[in-house]
Amino acid sequence: MSLSTLQGVSHTCFGLSYLLAFTLELARVRWPRTGLRTAGLVVGAIGLFTHSAYLAIHHPSMAAPYGSLLLLAWVLAVFYFYGSLHHTRQAWGIFVLPVVLGLVALSLVIVSFTGTDDVDIPLWLVGEKFWGAIHGLLLLLAAVGLSVAFLSSVMYLVQARRLRTKANPLGGVKILSLERLEAMSRRAVNLAFPMLTAGVLLGMLMLNHEAPLTLLTPSLKVLGSYGLILVVAMLVYMRYAVHVSGRRLAVWSILAFALLVVVLMAAHPFVEGGR
Amino acid sequence: MNLRIVGCNFRTANVDVRERLAFPPDLHARASAELAARFGCEVAILSTCNRVELFLARPHGPTVLSTELATEFLGEVHHVPPESLTPHLYSHADADATRHLFRVAASLDSLIVGEGQIAGQVKQAFEAARKLATTGPLLNALFPHALRTAKRVRTETGISLGHVSVSSVAVDYVKQVFDHFGDKTVLVIGAGKMGRLTLKHLQELKPGRILVANRSPEKAAEVAAGCGGTPIPWDKLDDALGETDIALSTTGAGEPIVSRQRFDKQIRPKRRHGRTLVVLDIAVPRDFDPAIHDGDRVCLFNIDDLTRIREQTIAERQSHLRPAEAIVATEVKNFLDDWQRRKNGPVIQQLRSEVDKVRDEVLTPLLAKLNGKLSPAEKEQVSAAFRLFQNKLLHGPIAALQDASREGEDRGSLIEALKKLFRLGS
Repeated sequence: MSLSTLQGVSHTCFGLSYLLAFTLELARVRWPRTGLRTAGLVVGAIGLFTHSAYLAIHHPSMAAPYGSLLLLAWVLAVFYFYGSLHHTRQAWGIFVLPVVLGLVALSLVIVSFTGTDDVDIPLWLVGEKFWGAIHGLLLLLAAVGLSVAFLSSVMYLVQARRLRTKANPLGGVKILSLERLEAMSRRAVNLAFPMLTAGVLLGMLMLNHEAPLTLLTPSLKVLGSYGLILVVAMLVYMRYAVHVSGRRLAVWSILAFALLVVVLMAAHPFVEGGR
Repeated sequence: MNLRIVGCNFRTANVDVRERLAFPPDLHARASAELAARFGCEVAILSTCNRVELFLARPHGPTVLSTELATEFLGEVHHVPPESLTPHLYSHADADATRHLFRVAASLDSLIVGEGQIAGQVKQAFEAARKLATTGPLLNALFPHALRTAKRVRTETGISLGHVSVSSVAVDYVKQVFDHFGDKTVLVIGAGKMGRLTLKHLQELKPGRILVANRSPEKAAEVAAGCGGTPIPWDKLDDALGETDIALSTTGAGEPIVSRQRFDKQIRPKRRHGRTLVVLDIAVPRDFDPAIHDGDRVCLFNIDDLTRIREQTIAERQSHLRPAEAIVATEVKNFLDDWQRRKNGPVIQQLRSEVDKVRDEVLTPLLAKLNGKLSPAEKEQVSAAFRLFQNKLLHGPIAALQDASREGEDRGSLIEALKKLFRLGS
């Protein structure tokens, strides 16, 4: 495949690939055939490849909402692919792919309003300065952790509901046990918490250095910033509160992830240097 | 193809008859050898609790064995009058027999459709026959194809999904809650028969600790000794439930031993960090009040829940019958086609090589005669024209032979005619 061909890769290529992989996963629930799983994996791999090629060629800015959502979707696509290979019997894609598709769709919505690179991004945040790059990396890792916590939490709640209603244990989609999903959520929260805390603190220090008192200026971006701090507070609760039950942890993880996505979309003030 | 299956199953014979016709290992070996020697055919015997079947095959020649002779043999071996067996036996021949074996191996003919044991039993029957050297080309091709078909049916349809025993369903529920069992405690309450079976399944998960509570300390000690557990006094039941992860209850008590009130007041406060408790209440009448189930901290499954899932699974399997039958039909056709090709192969090969020889006898002198007048490309064109002519000439006879085989006509006269017409050696 030549470079010029890859340059023609667009959202449609990987978006449709993921959509098709998701459809095949759904079909596999109804008709459990090896061929459907293989086809789903092949299509998912094509999606991941074209997605990677798009990021490598267009390298959208990770400090802008558009780029960060696309990168987050890519990380989750890797998570989907790994999970599907590793947990052959579980309906991994059914839970992960809708989130990947949702993030890709959100990035498309953003790009249709703002364009890909029209955000005036301070140089220190796109990696030209060391601490800016660290700040971005920490936020991304936190987002990955929260995404994993979100996915395992959704699966946890589905599994818990099936147990509550005493549904056929081997019917429908295959999901990991409650114990495993809870452990996965807790590990992901434990990873996200220090990353997000450090990322937010670093951003605030840098923001204060570049443009003091920005956080007192009322704007959507400032609200987004407060949202990020709220996510940190939620993580503190999930991480340190005594005996948070699996169900409660799942609900809080989902809320934290939803808030994080809103914040990413709103482009918090750290991104725009407090403007 | 000369293949015949004679036997009985749970539909045609009750358990008394099946027991009388069963082949224990020593009799199995003797009967196989005797059948093979007496009738000069390939033999395999499938003997399970639900069916007894004789597989008799001879790749070539006249029909192997009539149902009557097989019935006589069964009667003779088992010392039963053959006429008393006749109403219970069925017989399948050739394509019908192939289809029967494929359906049996794929568990479409089982008491519980989709059960996984039968494929293993078919495999064992085949391997036993191979060890006894009573198989030949036909059974050596037939049984592996049947097992491949069974695998296809199992993997491409949902016919074997789910479990159909109450104890397996109970363990499936436990696995939905817990991931690893080395740090888990299982509490066995009572000593019912069904409970022992479920406990056996739970033991396979290798739980860290097993506690046994029974009103009778002797009974508790006996059960504990059988499962490597620790007996506990009956009055410590609440404490034990407080530290248990999986409770298996199977007492013969006339009323619930753990009411909701007792659970909320005396057991729930003892459970550390809100750990999840799975209760498998397979006692009748029930031992635990169903109201304690919340699907989060307490997951209770009683005999009604487990039986309902078992019935759902059986019904669900029925819905996969049609695609499974379609796979069997395709594979039967594939096998019969393959077998015919294999059977006609030597004749067709002989025919082709004979005509190849004739072609070379004509073509070689011709090309020698025209040497120097034809370019290499023109020589190749002439050779190709001869080959094309030969293929067109042979197409009719070969197709007629294949058609006759496929449609089950007598190929003998056709083969004789071909041999005479083309002067083929015997």
